[in-house]
Amino acid sequence: MQVLLTLSAVSWRHKVRNHSSRKPWAKKDGPGIHNVDMRIQAGEILGIIGPNGAGKTTLLRAISGLYDCDGFDKDCSVRRTGIGYMPEQVRWEGRISVKNALNSIALMRNNPVDIEKIIKTVGLSSKSNDYLDNLSQGMRQRLSLACALIGDPKILIMDEPLNGLDPLAQRAFCNLLKQLAANGVAIVISSHQVSDLEHLVDEIALMHHGQLLIKDSMENVREQLGLGEDSDLVEMICSVTGINPEDVSLEVAQDNLLPFKKIGGEEE
Amino acid sequence: MNSFSLGYEIMKQRISAGRMLVIWPLLAMFILFSTWGLSDPKVNLPSEIMIDSAYDVMFTSTAIIVFAATMGAVLISFDGISRDRLSGVLEIKLSQPIPRSIYARSLLIGHWLAIFIPVIALNILSLFVLYYRMDEFPSIEEIFIYNLGTALLLLWWTTLQLLASSVAKDIGSSIAIGLGAWMLFTLLWLVLTTVVAGLSGVGVENLESEEYVGISGIVDLFSPNGVYNHLLEMPLDDTERVPPLFTCVAAIAWSIIPLQLLIRRMERLHP
Repeated sequence: MQVLLTLSAVSWRHKVRNHSSRKPWAKKDGPGIHNVDMRIQAGEILGIIGPNGAGKTTLLRAISGLYDCDGFDKDCSVRRTGIGYMPEQVRWEGRISVKNALNSIALMRNNPVDIEKIIKTVGLSSKSNDYLDNLSQGMRQRLSLACALIGDPKILIMDEPLNGLDPLAQRAFCNLLKQLAANGVAIVISSHQVSDLEHLVDEIALMHHGQLLIKDSMENVREQLGLGEDSDLVEMICSVTGINPEDVSLEVAQDNLLPFKKIGGEEE
Repeated sequence: MNSFSLGYEIMKQRISAGRMLVIWPLLAMFILFSTWGLSDPKVNLPSEIMIDSAYDVMFTSTAIIVFAATMGAVLISFDGISRDRLSGVLEIKLSQPIPRSIYARSLLIGHWLAIFIPVIALNILSLFVLYYRMDEFPSIEEIFIYNLGTALLLLWWTTLQLLASSVAKDIGSSIAIGLGAWMLFTLLWLVLTTVVAGLSGVGVENLESEEYVGISGIVDLFSPNGVYNHLLEMPLDDTERVPPLFTCVAAIAWSIIPLQLLIRRMERLHP
């Protein structure tokens, strides 16, 4: 399969306020992603899974060109041209129609766009003249998907796209993604639920503490980790980090991540 | 992909926003009623302000423009970026291939047009009010300078507000920064000018003394409202407080520096 994007040791640290400094503008390195290596191939559906704060969104934003970090074989502006990005839970609002909202996003791309076709693809035809204020959360998700599809991107990046969709819409959504992948579009999709991606993805990438732990097909990952077919995210992470699932609690660790064991990399 | 086509789309969105239902009537009342009142031959103004011509009415009504139109610019632009950031739409917009500098200019054009169009429309209507009341129109040159000054004033305020909006990460901060800047330049500037004059050894007992007027003219170059007043003083006789060159340089600086800051800010902005 054709490799569309290569990531070599991609790292990114968020800048957070440094409360230990007297200067109110002082910033320090916060959480982020560390040394992520990955290849994104045409027609592949890659699922990125990990607990809250694992770095899934940061990685997706870095791939989408929102963060200007090193380690990609294509620079930010080139990536933005070929990538469609769907962020998590966008709250579209305002007294403008769905069609006009899509038109203004389309103006930000060079290539001519058939808005009607995209609206039809995501199932918003009956809502195309409705105000954004009148859309349900599921409809807003569809609109975000429509924005990602503008310009026929070669890679689709989606952050928790199934949140807020009813089961029927989820099924339709998955069918659409499979169809796009069959047409050669690479899809990177994140979720904190393994079950969401079980029947959709070709490969999964397991993330924890900003690091990519393992990337392979679901069966191979389970085989390598010695897990059964019904194993979930917690079991996968516990298996990699070597901690007992019974020891996992909801108490948040100092670095605002769930208290899984640290596995090296840069310290805060 | 250019700034104007995207700016036009942004203008359409902003001009159809619910808040325009408040801004339009307020602007109409401020601009048209002030023109009507000031053009009354029996009007008695403080500080020995004399109304002798149609342009005198326009010049005097700039106090209303400074108050109402700049507040309109604040109300339209204070959440121009922060609202998209909060809703997550900014993430989608920043992930598009459009260069950030073009996007910044589009935002400026769109938000500026959304306040400039109502103000210019009401200014044109006020000319007819003037003609009805005084039986005279200002000269073409006077109309041009008046509207150019107003356009620039609104452009500066829109840029400042968008810059503030790009810094703010919630609506509360947006409002606080936007209104804070407006209060500083519109309401508190006189206090600041008096402090500067006092520190410079100029007596502040008489605010119409030659020394105070001179120093307030210089201090006003650092305020968009002050530069606007200087610009509109240019066609008037014997009222210029600073040389026209200073006013032009300040107007150019106010047009370029905040815009460059906004572009730099947008280029580094993370959702």
